[in-house]
Amino acid sequence: MTGGLVLILALLAIVVAPWVAPTYYLLLMLPFMAYAVVLLGLNLLFGYTGLVSFGHALFIGIGAYTGAFLAAHLTVRSMEVFLVAAAIAGALVAAPVAALCVRYVKIYFGMLTLAFGMVFYTFVLKFYRLTGGDEGLPFPRPALLGFPLDAMPKTDYLVGPYYYYSLAVLAVATLGMWRVVRSPFGLCLKTIRDNPAKAETLGIGVTRYRWYAFMISAVYASVGGALLGPPTGNVDPTLAYWTHSGNLVFMTLLGGFSSFFGPVLGAFVFIYLQNWVMSVVPYWRLIFGAILAVIVIFAPGGLMGLFARARPAEVARG
Amino acid sequence: MLSVREIDVYIQASHILRRVSLEVGAREVVCLVGRNGAGKTTTLRTIMGYLRPRTGRVELQGRPIHGRPTHEIARLGLGWAPEDSGIFPDLTVAENIEISTWTRPEGRPAAERIERAYRVFPGLRRYAARKGPEMSGGERKMLSIARALALDPEMLVLDEPFEGLSPAIIPAVSEGIAEITKLGHSILIAESNIHHVPEYTRRLYVIERGEIIFAGPPEDAWRDPALTRIIGSAA
Repeated sequence: MTGGLVLILALLAIVVAPWVAPTYYLLLMLPFMAYAVVLLGLNLLFGYTGLVSFGHALFIGIGAYTGAFLAAHLTVRSMEVFLVAAAIAGALVAAPVAALCVRYVKIYFGMLTLAFGMVFYTFVLKFYRLTGGDEGLPFPRPALLGFPLDAMPKTDYLVGPYYYYSLAVLAVATLGMWRVVRSPFGLCLKTIRDNPAKAETLGIGVTRYRWYAFMISAVYASVGGALLGPPTGNVDPTLAYWTHSGNLVFMTLLGGFSSFFGPVLGAFVFIYLQNWVMSVVPYWRLIFGAILAVIVIFAPGGLMGLFARARPAEVARG
Repeated sequence: MLSVREIDVYIQASHILRRVSLEVGAREVVCLVGRNGAGKTTTLRTIMGYLRPRTGRVELQGRPIHGRPTHEIARLGLGWAPEDSGIFPDLTVAENIEISTWTRPEGRPAAERIERAYRVFPGLRRYAARKGPEMSGGERKMLSIARALALDPEMLVLDEPFEGLSPAIIPAVSEGIAEITKLGHSILIAESNIHHVPEYTRRLYVIERGEIIFAGPPEDAWRDPALTRIIGSAA
């Protein structure tokens, strides 16, 4: 089975799911689609540029709080405005943060992103009047494409119009990122990941390209953060907490950062697995910690790496 | 074209290059010969901006380039093929070559530059879809030079292009470099094996313990018994 066919079948399943799947599982698709947007961006930095960020929850927080702030203080109700404003706010915050972070690599880059994430976390926690402190801000139901949809029951709204809205945003984000990684710019990022010193000899300004990659990934994370708002109905500081950044890295490793769709698969498996494990045992972090250890030791290519390894065997069996 | 004037280069406390000077003119092929550890790669890395000379100047077409970052030097027109080839393993042969046309858009049209790279090393065309790890050492060397050529540089800097190659592949690499000289590019080659110095070399520099001890036509170097003891033993 080719990758393209799997992709079409997966897309088809997501499109028809609202007609056949239980509401509870459909609601879990909403954070999946939001995280998928975030991880497409994160993996441009992680998988394609070789920089592991432990602070991208910062931008999820920026995106979610931008929407909530516009709703709470400016009574804006348009999801399109939330998304655009989240992207702009994410880019504005990312510009100086990226400029400082991309001068460093490896653990220093990771620790700097973590530090900025914690600075933002503390900001939203302490600036109560602006952010609602530890209680956060409500994220009221936004209008979609100009349609208020206020009369609709919340669940119907989420598993109906909002579901397809999120899917459309994910589709656009996926196509956009596909174009980016397949472009000469994407190739340049790969050369930087593989050998930055040699990439320089091709005329590639390594620091500048890393900054571009960081900016794109931050915008994706902010848009994903805004998408997370309506399903939860509230944004709070835990969105920007460092463990949330850790979850993003976990999802990327789980799916496989070497593959374009690996992190998307990672987000899907993470969310449904977390939901299932939490319903079975209270110590879900213990189970997830063990899973992470197993992946790193036995399957560093993640789930996509396992599928890629299995594929030649399928062919051999005919 | 390229002028290196009395550069002193230190790596930490070690004085590696001592008042090294060399010139490469337009359309010239110049060789820098010396034993392992004599300072050849350090000279080339200084030209490419990886190291900064403490004193002295490096100029490309009259413009000072010492102290500039490597990517700016590359965009000014220096194509670099390092000793270890520096092939990007996740890119195909075609992508390794084509990327240079995008990172330095000025110069000839991209299609012409790619065609020239394949014309110099025709064997690479067959492997266009292969990735770096699927290639032999000789093919990687050829790809490294082809990629530098696709940058459409004024001058190519080749660090030990024959190092580690089997005798069977050396003629193909040598012919490719000869073909590049016909295209009008200047070339600076660092070589530790005097027998690999191409016959079309205009000028030879011999470096020993970080100092240039000879500069002149290759035939003059062979007439100097003291020099042949050094460069002969470099073989």
